[in-house]
Amino acid sequence: MNEHSRVLERDELEIAELRSPDVDLRLPAVVPREPFPIEPLTVDARQQTRAVGQRATRPDGRLHGLGQTKYIDDLSFPGMLYARIKRAGIASARIKHIDTSAAETMPGVMAVLIGKEIPTNSFGPTFQDQPVLADPIVRHAGDGVAAVAAVTEQIANEALAKIVVEYEPLPAVLDPVAAMREDSPQVHAPNSNIYATKVVRKGNIEKGFAESDRIFEARFSTQMIEHVSLEPHAAIADWDANGRLTIWATIGRITLARSDIARTLKLPMSRIRIIGTIVGGNFGGKNEISQEPTLALLSKKTGRPVKGVFTRGEEFIATTTRHPIIMDYKTGVSNKGRILARQIRLVLDGGAYCSWSATTLGKACILSPGPYKIDNVLAEAFVVYTNKTMTGAMRGFGAPQVCFAYESQMDDIAKALGIDPLEIRLLNAFDEGSSSPTGQVLHSVVIKESLRKAADRFGWEPRS
Amino acid sequence: MKRRGRGIACMWYPIGFTVDANASAATVKVNEDGTATVLTGTVETGQGSLTVLGQIAAEALGIATDDVHVVSADTDTTPMDTGAIASRTTYVTGNAIWLAAEAAKAILFETAAPMLGVKTSQLEAKDRKIQVKNYPQRAVTIGEVAHRSQVVLGQPAIGSASWNPPTVAMDPETGQGKPFATYVYATQIAEVDVDDETGEVEILRIAAAHDCGTAINPMLVEGQVEGGISMGVGMALQEEMLFDANGRHINPNLTNYIMPTSLDMPEIAVDIVQGFDPTGPFGAKGVGEPTAVPTSAAILNAIHDAVGVRVTSLPATAEKVLTAIKAKRAAERKQIPA
Repeated sequence: MNEHSRVLERDELEIAELRSPDVDLRLPAVVPREPFPIEPLTVDARQQTRAVGQRATRPDGRLHGLGQTKYIDDLSFPGMLYARIKRAGIASARIKHIDTSAAETMPGVMAVLIGKEIPTNSFGPTFQDQPVLADPIVRHAGDGVAAVAAVTEQIANEALAKIVVEYEPLPAVLDPVAAMREDSPQVHAPNSNIYATKVVRKGNIEKGFAESDRIFEARFSTQMIEHVSLEPHAAIADWDANGRLTIWATIGRITLARSDIARTLKLPMSRIRIIGTIVGGNFGGKNEISQEPTLALLSKKTGRPVKGVFTRGEEFIATTTRHPIIMDYKTGVSNKGRILARQIRLVLDGGAYCSWSATTLGKACILSPGPYKIDNVLAEAFVVYTNKTMTGAMRGFGAPQVCFAYESQMDDIAKALGIDPLEIRLLNAFDEGSSSPTGQVLHSVVIKESLRKAADRFGWEPRS
Repeated sequence: MKRRGRGIACMWYPIGFTVDANASAATVKVNEDGTATVLTGTVETGQGSLTVLGQIAAEALGIATDDVHVVSADTDTTPMDTGAIASRTTYVTGNAIWLAAEAAKAILFETAAPMLGVKTSQLEAKDRKIQVKNYPQRAVTIGEVAHRSQVVLGQPAIGSASWNPPTVAMDPETGQGKPFATYVYATQIAEVDVDDETGEVEILRIAAAHDCGTAINPMLVEGQVEGGISMGVGMALQEEMLFDANGRHINPNLTNYIMPTSLDMPEIAVDIVQGFDPTGPFGAKGVGEPTAVPTSAAILNAIHDAVGVRVTSLPATAEKVLTAIKAKRAAERKQIPA
């Protein structure tokens, strides 16, 4: 029935019906025109050549939208077992004894694993300071101390409760500043708690402060943050009868994972296959191995595929987090608002293990002066061990922390000098060819364009 | 009452590892029908990197994104890659794929040049064809060329390449050096309402202008910016892992570790700043991490603008903001002469 015949029928309708509170009452007296056939003026972005610059949809988008993407927890293999890891629950201790006998005799429990059984019980992307399962020293409450593989996850959980671990508590240090003192308990005795440092020095900081009209000093600090990916850390390990190990893992770096797993298991790389599955969120939290060697050894012991999926609680206590940083900023400026000198001291809470701390330390230190032309810079950064969840890679590697500090102080300077916050940034920001704090000549610098564009979009007007 | 404020924050952020090698390798195979398969060892972690990498291969070969299939993340079948870290995938893996595609294309050009009666240097790949530059009427489809390369000449169009960003080690005493090949820049401006009775902060809107060099896929760039801002909102106002005196984590759950939900998200206006980095694939740099960098700073500056208090420790919870407001009021009261 087309639009025209529908209108003719209306003529025969009763008046009352026509007067009903209906949008049809606004019907025009003439028949609406047939619309032109609508044809897309452009083909789908995925079909276009050129390809770069197109708003191409993702090939995996349909499966995500339909809920059909297969994450690790959706995968299952015949005879597959479920692994769970017992967490220490104590921040600093020496393991005196682990009794796994009650767990081992439980029906449905196929294997139990402790740290002593791991060929090389240490890993880490920079320093190999992290055990797969703690043995004998526990350095944070989330350290794994034993693992179980059972026919169901429930039985594995029950078995964990039957593993008895005897601890000798050791003094713990939780505050990074306290951990820097010489009399502090050492997290990795006999080594110092300060495990990496970085310095960036440019110009003459004393001279810069001497030439400054005003000097601003402030301390900023940030908190520990978890990535909270929707998908927790998950993996399936299958050590087959040929001695070849296949691991399906939700991990962002398979090449590094294979070398770390080869090292921990003392296995040639050619016998290891890592398949990176669709990762349900990484944000830096899945850039290194975690439970994979444990699952592999449980699979070797049982001859069955073994799956491990972290609980949300384990995501918090047993995986890497964002570094809390204590940031001292001292900045000398001219009365016109030019930054002449900036001195920065950063103390990063490195948690119990290094993970990606050395990288975070470096980036935080290099970026800490901000995107500004400053001739005199001294930035010093320290990362220290504490008996807390390890800190590591997280979206920005220390940059969000130092940005919070340098941009907060920038506004304080602007306010004290009576300069508009946008203006003081445009006054100091890098130009094409500016020299960075490490002396690098910068190219394709568009910070001023970004400032102006955001200000335009926001509707930023200077206030008098 | 609610007080409104605005805050600005800008940032710089590097692409790739600090000095250390972080290479990517890739293989591009042009199939006999002119479609292509890309092998890469990087992992799709939800950001859409495989889409972007496919677009780079397609652009280099003059075909469409849908003509490219990207195989990733299997140590048995894909070449090494440093992985989804350091905002490096588009820039580093992208460069490797671009170079691999160029190598495959060089084989196609060798086959096509005699077919078209010109030199290889006169050819370009465009619109699924190999054509003569400035004389596109003389052309042959990529499918035909790829088929001839493989089936007639026995020289399949397969290219492999690797790329690593050029850096210079930093001096251990002064830190002077070239730690990164390139950097991106961004500005975010936030508008907030702060309730000066409760300390509660509501973020109304954020304008974000991000540089990523050439935006290979503007839609995915916008998605990254919006996602990064949500992490920045959590960092600014809510998220914090707390420990008891014995070092045990006391809020390891999403009931007590508060994260922003869609209801906490402000209106976001994303602008992509025009840029071109000659060292990146088709001028691209990266965008993943920087999107989360300036957000908390902009929000905290907006709180300062609204109620005049400088919260120096994150997160700026309602309790912390209210304590600061009360302290400011108390200090101001004292200053009134008797």
